[in-house]
Amino acid sequence: MYIEYTENQKALRLRVREYMRERMTPALLEEKKNPDFFEGGGPEFRKQFAQMGKDGWISMSWPSELGGQDASALEQYIFTDEVMRSTFPYPFLTTEAIGPVLAEYANDEIREAVVKGILQGETVIAIGYSEPAAGTDLASLKTRAVRDGEDWVINGQKMWTSLANFADYIWLAARTDPDADKKHKGLTMFLVPTDIAGYSCNPVWTLGTRTNATFYEDVRLPDKYRVGEVNKGWQLITGQLNRERLSLVNHGMIEALYTETAGWAAATMDRDERPLLEQGWIQHNLARAKVGLEALRLMCLKQAWAIDQDQLGMAEASVAKVYGTEFFVEIYRLLLEVLGQAGTLKQDSQGAILKGKLEHRYRVGSILTFGGGANEVQRDIISAAGLSMPRGR
Amino acid sequence: MDFSYSEEQLEVRALARQILGDQTGNERQQQIDAQEIRFDEKLWQDLADAGLLGVALDSERGGMGFNFETLALLLEEVGRTVAAVPVIPALVTAALPLQRFGSEAQKHACLPGLANGKHLITAALIEPGNEDPARPYTGATAAGAGWVLSGSKHCVPYAQQAEQCLITAQAEDELLVFLLPLSSPGLTLKEQASTAGEPQYQLDLESVALGESVLIARGEQALELVQWMQQLTRAAIAAMATGLCDAMLRMTAEYTSQREQFGVPVATFQAVGHRAADCYIDIECLRLVSQEAVSLLSLGLDAEQATTIAKIWTGDVCHRVSQASQHLHGGTGVDRDYPLFRYCLMARQLELSVGSSARLLEQLGTDIAVSFTSSGLETID
Ligand SMILES: Cc1cc2nc3c(=O)[nH]c(=O)nc-3n(C[C@H](O)[C@H](O)[C@H](O)COP(=O)(O)OP(=O)(O)OC[C@H]3O[C@@H](n4cnc5c(N)ncnc54)[C@H](O)[C@@H]3O)c2cc1C
Repeated sequence: MYIEYTENQKALRLRVREYMRERMTPALLEEKKNPDFFEGGGPEFRKQFAQMGKDGWISMSWPSELGGQDASALEQYIFTDEVMRSTFPYPFLTTEAIGPVLAEYANDEIREAVVKGILQGETVIAIGYSEPAAGTDLASLKTRAVRDGEDWVINGQKMWTSLANFADYIWLAARTDPDADKKHKGLTMFLVPTDIAGYSCNPVWTLGTRTNATFYEDVRLPDKYRVGEVNKGWQLITGQLNRERLSLVNHGMIEALYTETAGWAAATMDRDERPLLEQGWIQHNLARAKVGLEALRLMCLKQAWAIDQDQLGMAEASVAKVYGTEFFVEIYRLLLEVLGQAGTLKQDSQGAILKGKLEHRYRVGSILTFGGGANEVQRDIISAAGLSMPRGR
Repeated sequence: MDFSYSEEQLEVRALARQILGDQTGNERQQQIDAQEIRFDEKLWQDLADAGLLGVALDSERGGMGFNFETLALLLEEVGRTVAAVPVIPALVTAALPLQRFGSEAQKHACLPGLANGKHLITAALIEPGNEDPARPYTGATAAGAGWVLSGSKHCVPYAQQAEQCLITAQAEDELLVFLLPLSSPGLTLKEQASTAGEPQYQLDLESVALGESVLIARGEQALELVQWMQQLTRAAIAAMATGLCDAMLRMTAEYTSQREQFGVPVATFQAVGHRAADCYIDIECLRLVSQEAVSLLSLGLDAEQATTIAKIWTGDVCHRVSQASQHLHGGTGVDRDYPLFRYCLMARQLELSVGSSARLLEQLGTDIAVSFTSSGLETID
């Protein structure tokens, strides 16, 4: 057992950290203050993302037969962790989850255009799974696609389609066989260009970010935009969700917040002209944060290592999802308490601390416990797969 | 990056699992519980005969010469079976500091016998009203070429059964660590009854005269020894707790899968499954931080923070998994005819030994404050 990066991995980490620092230009920081562009999509984001494509970062984790560089899961984790730490609005789902699926399953013409666009940092794809009535029970989705000659005609509504306001395509799950014996069997995946007739998008403002409702009204989509076989969409969705989980939980972003908060407390004086950090309750909160962070760090490393060894168990992936997302919520509180009431001041407000980052993070943080597979479902998986306990229902 | 164990290590674990598994059934445990002293001497001897007591002892002392990480695998299995054997006080807290800091004569007198099961040693970490072995009340006054010790240690495991005990004493201007012969004139033992039934004693010293030959370390080196001894013991407890909690949880999963109420196994209630899942997550965290602490110690790297963190997780997870296991078992969980209670008692023992979560959180917080105050920025891992 040796729980440490190799010299090469350490060097990679520093290289990504340095590189991402350059991507976070003042213009991008300014652009991100516009809530429409917080998750990317503005001109400066486009510019920097394309730069990442040019510099070869996007294809790093892809398999070489799909035009990638075969990075190990551990290297991919280092990259993800550092990108998250930098707060660059990198579209992980496009690059890590959907891109490789398209490269494998899309029709030749689409693959040529879209996959190239992704690898060049020019194409962003939004995920159209959830609907007003289909969330955790995703397979119950109702958006319909009906075959008509060489085309499909799509009708329905998607909910929470993040990035749709600037995405080039929607990665859409639709029902193609309403009579299938099991509800997850009649689904097919499509790539819907966002400039197609019959498609529209409305903003949905949440506690933390903008997302969207997207509408599909007699959208006539040529069959070449179908990805994978008809009625075999579920495998593509679930294969992709597993990769999604990897970029959901990581350590760098909150480690940076912890470090900044402790640094702030060391540099800030209390009423008696002594560093806040000398207060016992602040030390206590930081210690609790550190104890949880260390477990998270090891868990992330072990997951990446286990993937490289082809040893990642079902239960372990769910453990990381539940522990990580719930710890995020916990550590935001621990660190906000250290900042005190001024921690409630927002990024551009007079008197904001650490640029209001924690005030914003806690508002975004709550979606992770139910997004990406509700934690209840993850716990079901843990007790069934990890402990062989029988399931109800 | 490597989270795996070597072939050798896996063999040691398999051997330990086999010997311990065979001899820790509920009936056998009940016999041991009924003994006056809760020590399974036959099992101890069998472990010795298999070479397992010497796992981390040098080969020239009759050991296998493996590292602490390999020994930790044995400890985890002892936790899994709550076997009544003094693996931590003898093989970790006493033996490893002795092996590193002791004189040839001291090592020769103790370690081969420890490996073959004939000679037991232990260590005294705490005193009544004082859990810091680096600042003992127990005093040593110089007398000729030796010292005279007075004071008390308590909760000393297996002091009655052992031949020697590592103890610290404060001399006028330095800390001393001795290999105290437990037959020394002026030394008396008083039995203590502790929650998990481990044999423990208060050790009173009244003008006990000790010579140079039993001094292990002094001054800076004594401080280094004590710090390392605590780190080792905390990591060892974390490793044992990992096995202990894992076994408790698996017992609970199995029981709730069979126990029916309202016409269904109680495990099928989502609230039951989720409480078990939370324990699973807790144990995964405990395993990771314990492996890190053990690994750093094995590699001779700085392990102060890692062992502190591992012990904090140990305290929290032992408490939570034990309470959840009892709760999900209902009445059976507290019935002394069913094996769970031994695990719960040991969980509390481990939780509170060598630093509770609350105390260590405070210590960690202080260390964090120092690191941020001195550098402005903590070094990035
Ligand atoms: C900001 C934001 C961005 C999003 N981005 C996208 C996106 O880009 N693309 C997309 O497709 N979706 C997106 N989503 C949707 C997200 O995936 C869903 O919110 C998620 O799947 C949960 O579905 P739901 O909100 O309908 O909650 P529901 O499914 O209604 O669940 C509500 C709660 O019920 C409980 N529950 C549900 N099922 C179970 C069960 N089996 N056992 C026990 N309890 C259960 C859980 O507590 C759960 O949190 C986004 C959501 C938000 C808020």
